[in-house]
Formats: sequence, structure tokens, C-alpha cells
Amino acid sequence: MGKGESSSKKVIGREDWEKRLSDVKIRKEDMNKLVMNYLVTEGYVDAAEKFQLESGVKPEIDLSTITDRMTVRKAVQSGNVEDALEKVNDLNPEILDTNPQLFFHLQQQRLIELIRSGKVEEALEFAQEELAPRGEENHQFLEELERTVALLAFEDTANSPVSDLLDISQRQKTASELNAAILTSQSHEKDPRLPSLLKMLVWAQNQLDEKVSYPRINDLVNATLEDPV
Amino acid sequence: MPSRTSPPSCTLLSVGQAFVGTQNVDHSGAMKEERWTVHVRIQGCDLRHGTLCGSMEALNVPAAESSVVTFWEGEIIDNINHTFFTEDWANPDTDLKHWSRFPSFAPLREAVNRDGGKGIDLARHSHVYMRWKEKFFVNVGPDCGLTIAGFYYLCFSRVDGTIRGFYYDPNSSPYQQLELRATTEGRNGHSFGCYEFR
Amino acid sequence: MPASARSRPEDIVENLSSGDTSARLKALRDVKNQIIGNRSKKLCYIKLGAVPRVAEILASDTETNLLVQSAAAVGSFACGIDSGVRAVLDSGCLPHLLNTLSNGDERVVEAGARSLRMIFQTQLAPQGATFFRSGGALENILRLLASANDDISEVAASVLARCCDFPEQRAAIAQAGALQGLLHLLTHPNPRKVETALDAIASLTRNDEQQSRALLNAPGNPFLTVIIPTVKERSGKSRLLACACVANISRTCPEYGTERTTGPPGSARDVAAAVISALVKLVDCPGEAGEEAPSVLAHFIADSEDLQKLACDADAIGKLSGKLAAGSGVLTPRHRENIFHALAALCSTREEGRRQLVESRALLPVISGLEDAAPGVRAAACACTKSLSRSVKNLRTSLVDASIAEPLFKLLGDPDPSVQATASATLCNIVLDFSPLRSQVVLDGGGVAQLASLAHSMDATLRLNAVWALKNLLFMADSATKARVMREVGYPTLAALAQDPEDGVQEQALMLVRNLVHGKPEDIEAAVRPETGLLEVVDRKLASGARPEVCVQALYVMVNVATGTEEHKERVMATCTPSVLGRFLADESNPQIRVAAVWVLINLTYSKGGNVRSRIERLRRLGLDAQLHKLLSDPCSDVQDRAKTALEQFHEALQPLPQPSVQMVSAHIC
Repeated sequence: MGKGESSSKKVIGREDWEKRLSDVKIRKEDMNKLVMNYLVTEGYVDAAEKFQLESGVKPEIDLSTITDRMTVRKAVQSGNVEDALEKVNDLNPEILDTNPQLFFHLQQQRLIELIRSGKVEEALEFAQEELAPRGEENHQFLEELERTVALLAFEDTANSPVSDLLDISQRQKTASELNAAILTSQSHEKDPRLPSLLKMLVWAQNQLDEKVSYPRINDLVNATLEDPV
Repeated sequence: MPSRTSPPSCTLLSVGQAFVGTQNVDHSGAMKEERWTVHVRIQGCDLRHGTLCGSMEALNVPAAESSVVTFWEGEIIDNINHTFFTEDWANPDTDLKHWSRFPSFAPLREAVNRDGGKGIDLARHSHVYMRWKEKFFVNVGPDCGLTIAGFYYLCFSRVDGTIRGFYYDPNSSPYQQLELRATTEGRNGHSFGCYEFR
Repeated sequence: MPASARSRPEDIVENLSSGDTSARLKALRDVKNQIIGNRSKKLCYIKLGAVPRVAEILASDTETNLLVQSAAAVGSFACGIDSGVRAVLDSGCLPHLLNTLSNGDERVVEAGARSLRMIFQTQLAPQGATFFRSGGALENILRLLASANDDISEVAASVLARCCDFPEQRAAIAQAGALQGLLHLLTHPNPRKVETALDAIASLTRNDEQQSRALLNAPGNPFLTVIIPTVKERSGKSRLLACACVANISRTCPEYGTERTTGPPGSARDVAAAVISALVKLVDCPGEAGEEAPSVLAHFIADSEDLQKLACDADAIGKLSGKLAAGSGVLTPRHRENIFHALAALCSTREEGRRQLVESRALLPVISGLEDAAPGVRAAACACTKSLSRSVKNLRTSLVDASIAEPLFKLLGDPDPSVQATASATLCNIVLDFSPLRSQVVLDGGGVAQLASLAHSMDATLRLNAVWALKNLLFMADSATKARVMREVGYPTLAALAQDPEDGVQEQALMLVRNLVHGKPEDIEAAVRPETGLLEVVDRKLASGARPEVCVQALYVMVNVATGTEEHKERVMATCTPSVLGRFLADESNPQIRVAAVWVLINLTYSKGGNVRSRIERLRRLGLDAQLHKLLSDPCSDVQDRAKTALEQFHEALQPLPQPSVQMVSAHIC
């Protein structure tokens, strides 16, 4: 160590920054792939087909498999869980055989649908026969099962503490989980890449903040650069 | 594996060894000379990778409130892992200028200037050359009155365990010189502790 | 469907054998849909004897739907429960499943292939090997390997890939000529076919020198001309498997020369760089390729610092830690384990690797991995922590903030022995003097007692690690810490460890003693008073001609004891050390022994008053000064320099005004 000065944080101005940004070449092809990846993963078959015609980008998987996947997804979304189960098993038996959590959530959804349609006796029988053994295997399942069965204890389920289970968002949650599992079984990523790129941008900016001041993007929707402080 | 030209191990330059001495600042005659006490302890030594590290404490620094302890990492010039030319922190001219201040470097100077000194048999040389770069302050904040932006050029004598060094930082007072010697820390002889990473 | 309308399982099983085709089909679908994902239903139907009936359909029916559903049902029975796999194998349906691969309908082939793969993925794989040896089944598989139908040859190859766990299996497969068939598949235009062939080749050559060499030297050079180019082309999975093949050969066949840093362009070294670059890119690949890429990378670079450097330069650490940072929660346990193993390998020898890892902020996921539910993840996270802790800088900084000591101590009691071993090894590093963790947990949290009890372990590795950790703990320790440790360990135990049947434990125990007597005269006194018996044990090592590594440590114990009072120096003189020093000074095989022996002499003659003259007289009578003279021309400069100092002290002590030539200034240092 010595006597003397030490330096402070470096500042990069807007002009320099924009020049650096424009020096990074991103191929249009890659941008298109990113869009296609989003459409395919989220299951927008029509949009994916149109986008393929417009951009010439090939989707990563056979578009017909998207149709199968969407049929299964829609079955859950409309409450036909048993139908969805059979379709998934026809598609690939390994999906539910190797994914106990997903299987439990589908069975739980089935129970919820039975309760929703007022089939109390059948619901109880189903819970005992199909779900209780899963609860014995896994503590987390048991807790979820208890919460679900609690639906039967309330006169007014809509105002009960477990009303969220009857909400349409519960069907969405189960459907998304199933959708992700099918994608994984088709060797496809279960999440689109776009959101993780945005997360990476935020992370990279936070890293950079410690070393330099630079024009930051705070508004992710419009991607506007803000002058360094 | 270290080749025959790299400096061999020296028991006075091993883990646990303490050094004591002074650092002084020469203000080119304009002011009086400043000087403070320095303690160093080697905490890690890895000859295969040509690295070592340790702590350095500066005591009685003029204008500093307390003693200042830093942690440093060092490179041993072995022509395998590290050469006389500094990679990031200095240019070859600065390197040569500093190494040349050590009398023992005189016979090596021409060879280093010519081709980096690749052919020098460092195994038979009486001194070990090193660079130490401080990484952080251990007990104080960065506003303690001292800076660790620079680094040391050092020359260790294998025969008597003394170290001479020069602190180099373009922004610091020039000609800060370090003089250290191996100490027994009050014992009746040289004692050696040991540790190994697992 | 209302519950009341549902048939009883007994009736469904009965219907599996119904004469009516549509009833059989319905029963099959019911069984399949009930057992998928449902363990208790599988057990129930197995008990009711459903498996043989399903097998019967597979064996005798010809209708596509029946075959598809029965193959799927068999696969599900074999999934997740061992008794299911056994029931399926016992039903004798394996040959019929193999037959489905020759069916004309693609759906039958696909369902059959899936089920076969399911069976061969289970822990009961040895049964697969038995099935291989008997009845020409292996030959049958090899015939299928050559099938024109891509699905069939693919399944054949993937079945082979799952049967390579034991050397005997690999030998049997190789002997039947599988390698040729697999190599032939590599040139097939269908990428999936190439992929499964590569899978089988990679499994066949992993940790198997004989098979690796067979691949390296296979006629027609397919390794060079097909596998290596695949590293850069094709699907993620194929690239991964090609990399695995190169790694296997590199690890087992030194003549391949990955380590040679010079060579013509395209040499093994360049291939290694290409493989590493491919593996690093694969880390971001979705699915199995991305999940397994870190594991292949770890395997490839584990024993080579040179390859570790290549991988670091290719930003392996950035990529891997990016994966972790993106959310270790969404990664499968296997994926996390693989990433931790790769990071552990990348940081095992190079400080630059450790620096990169710390700066990448992957530290938190690694630390939380120490408490993962999966034992494999815990062991891998621990290995990674161990690599990181091999750095003074990290021990002073990043690892302190991450509070790793507590989870590590917990892992000492882990049910998995390999986790215990890695945890105890990691502790060796974090108990060092400059690591603030030492005082935090080790001294305040009962860690010393834990280590002391591990020093009694029957497991030699755990014992070694415990003694190693205690030794490191005592490096530069103050008197209170030394007393504290010895209260827990006990001198009799320490003396016993110094005579442990394992040489490594002995060496560590002697270093522990060396650290005990490195300090103040009181520290030395506490350890060498006659009641402890330690000095005697150390002395016996020197007298009895123990291994050189042990002798070096024993000599340094004497060196350190001789820095104490006059009385301590005399106590060293009273041992047999002076009389055996001559032998060590003349040991040409080991400069370290010579240096240590010279240091004993330096310290025995290092003082101005007291008995120094008498000691020098006694040492001279043993002819040691003459031996020191010889060492002035020793090939090791450290020995030369120290001998010079010793001789100067020999002479100066006898001068009227003694002045040591090396000016040793006393100071107390931070």
C-alpha cells in the first residue's frame, strides 16, 4: 500500500453507449427464431403458421404436435380432466408415470371438478381411493389434499378460505403444468426464451451498476435509455 | 511441473513466515522523509502455480489513525507462470526500470531486455523476484489515507531472508521503498508451522 | 364417468382375457389409464395377476390397437416399482416386446420401443444382462441394430446403451461384435439413429480402457472421421455424446495425447479445445443434452489442469453459474448435481477458476446445495465448496459471508458416507488461521469435539480428514486454542494417531504435533513434558527409519521444539535425534530431509549463552560440522544456504563476541 490517490467509478456517456450498442450485430434471423420460440411454446399454432409464412423461420417442432398439446390443455381448461388424462397417456405414457407432482395435481383438479358439480359422495369416494394414497407418499400432497377436501366443509365455498381452488386460475395453473410436461417430453424447453432474456438484462445491468455509470434501461416495455447519474 | 529454471523452494519463503521492516517515502528533498513500520506474514504459497499471498500491516503511518492491514496476492517470477514483464498493471519500460533498481538484477538485465529472460536459470540465482498486489483492506475502509491501487516489485534474498521492494502506482508518491527481513518473532530459533489445503 | 359405473378391478382383469376383442381393448385401456402415475393401482393389478394376461395379449393378438395398448401397459407396470419390473420380466413378455419392433405399424413399434426402454432404464439392469447371455437375445438385438427401420435400430442401440454398467456386460457386448454395428450406424443419414449409436458407444467406452482403445483403433478411423466431426454438428444430444466419446478416450488412453500442448493443427489438443467449447455451448441446450453436458465436462477435465484452463477460458464457469442463477429451483436434482460437479472440477486447482466462480455469484446456489434433499446434490455441492475453499482469499472473504460452516458440520453426520467424506475434507480448509470461520463455529460451536471424535473413526478416509482438519486448525493457533483442542483430542489419542497403521494419518498427526510446538515456550512445554510421551514417539520415528515423508515432519517437530528454552534444546539433545541427524544430512534422495536436518542444527546452535558451546562440542564429536561443510556444495540451494548459516553459528558461538550473521529481529506480528 502506498500514499496517494485512489480512483472512483467510471462513467460512460449516452453517445458512447449508443455507439457500443449499435456495434453489437443481432441477426434478424435470430430475432425471428425468438418470436417463433414464443409462439410454439405458448401453443399459438395459427400465429406460428402465419409467422412461418411471413418470416420463413421454421418452427423447432412439428406443428401438429402443438395441436395435440393444445387439445389436452383445453380439456383441462374446460374441466374435462379425465379426458385430458387419457389423451396424455395416449400421447406418451411416460409423462404422467414419471411426474408424480403433475399426476397429483391432475387428480386434485378432478376432485375439484367433482366438488364444483356438487357430486359430494363421488368426490369423497374419489378422494379416498385415488388421492389419499398419494398423500401418504408425500407430505406436501397431503396438505394440498386436506385443503381441497375442506371445500366440502363450507356452505358458501365462494367466501371460504379455500375459494381460490374453485377459481378458473386453478384450472389454468394445472393446464400450464401439464403443457410444460408435454413440452419437456418432446425435448422442447417448457418456458419461452424471451422472458428469461429480459431477466438476464436486468441481472446484467445490476452487475454493471457496481462498476460503471451508464445509460440504463429502467422501462423494459419501451426500452428507453436513461442518462447516467 | 516446475522446470529446472524456476526458483526452487526456500524455507524462509513458506507459509507462516513473518517479516518485519519499514516503508519510506522519498519526497525528493522538498519535505522530510516519511517512514513507517511494516509487518508481513505469508499465508499461502503455491510454487507450482508461482503464487503466494499474505497480509501486510502498516503501523505508525503519518496521518493515519490506526494501523492498516491489507491482504495481498503475489506472483513469483518463474518464467513458467509469470515472467519479468507485468501483464496488466505496468508496461515493459516500467518493469525494467523497477527491476533494475535491485543490484542482483544487473547480470539479468540484458537477457530480460532482449527476450524476456527466457533462458535465465532462475534455479541457480541468489534471489527470488516477485510482484505483490494488494486486494483489499482488512481492518479499515478505503478512505484510510493509504491506497492499494498500485503494486510492489520485490526481490527476496534466499541466503539471508531479506526482501527489498518498490511500490509502483502512477498516482502515488514516487519512490516508496520497502525493506523487510525474516523474523523469528522472539523465539530462540526458526520455527515452522504448517498447513495444507485438502 | 360416475364412480358407480366404474367396474371393479377384478372384473377388468377378468375382461383382459375376454373372447370379445372390443372388451379386451376396453379392459386394457382401463388398466393402462388407471395404473399410469399410480403406484398403489400398479401393486393392486399386479396382485390380481393382470401382468401375465396383458403379456398374453402382447404374445398372441395381432390387432394394432391391442398391441399398442398392451405394450404401453407393460411399460407402465415396469415404471417406478421394482416389483412391476420383476412381474413384467417374469411374465416372459420381453421376447414379444422385441417382436413388436418388427411390426408393420409404426404406432406398435413406437409403443414397444418405449416400453423396452423403460425396462432397461430400471435398477434391475443385471437381469437385462442375464437375458442377454441366454437364448441368443444379444445376437437378436444386434440383428435389430442392423434393421432398416430407424425406430428399431434406435431402440436396439438404446437397449445396448443401458446394458453397459459392468465390465462383464461391456465385454460380452463387445465380443458379440456390437462396436462394428454401432460404428456402421454412425454413417446413417437419420440423426436419431446416429444419436442412439453414439449413446451406446459412449456407454461402452466410459471408464473402460479396453473398449476406448478398441474405438480409437477401430478400422477405417471412424473415431477420427465420424465422431470428432459430430462434436460440432448435428443435434445437441449427438454433440454431447460425441464429446463423451472423446472424453472417454482422453481419460483412458494416454497415447491419444490430449495433454500434449504442442502438435500439428487438428491434433488431440485442438480436438480437446473443440470438445470443451462444444460442451460449454451445450450447457444452454434444452433437455437432456443441457442437463448432461456439465457431467461430461466434469469427467473430461477432472484430472487435467490444462483442460480446466481451456474450459475456464471458454467461459464454462460463466455459463454454468448463469444456469444456476437463472433459478436452481427449476433445475432437476440431477441437473444441479452435474453443474456442481463441473464447477468443482473447474475450481479444483486454479485460483483463476475460483475467482471467476465467486464473481459469477453462483455462491449462494452452491451453499444452499449443501442442504439439498438429494444426497447426490449435497455431495456435489460439497465438492464444489471444497474446491472453492482451497483459496486463502476466499476463506478470508466470500466464503465467510456465505456462512458455510454450519451446513458443513451438519454434513459430518450425513447418512451418505461419500457426503461425510467430502464434508470432512472441506472442513480441513475452512478451519485455517486466516479464515474467520475458524473462531465462528469451530471453537464456539462444538466443532472441535466433532472432529476429535471423527479422529477415532474406523473409516481411514474420515480419520485422515479429521486429523488433517485438526492440524490445519492448529496452524498459527494461540495457546488457548491449542489447550482447547488437546482437551478434546487427548495426548494418548494423538500419540496413537502418530503410530496409526495408515502412513497418511501418521504424517498428518506429526504435522499436528509440529503445529502444537510452533509457538511460545509454554506451548512447547505443554506438548513435550514427559507425561505426554509425544517427544518419545517422534524420536522413535527418526530412530526407526520411517518413511521419508514421516521423517521430514518428525524432524520439524524437533526444529520447533529447539526454538524454546535452553532446557528444550537440551531435551532435543537428549533424544537420539543428534545421533541420527548425520544419516538425514547425507540422504541424497530427498533435499527436504536434508533441509529439515540442517534446521535442527541451526536451532540447537542458535543462542548466545547457555549451553550453546557445550552443544556445539557434542555435535562436532558426532562429525556433524564436517557434514555441514559437504553441504556447502549441495545441489539444492536451500540446503546450501542453510548449511552456510549453521556453520557460521558453529564458528561464531565460539568467538569471544558472538553476532549471528542473519539479523533476526524479534517482533510481534498481527
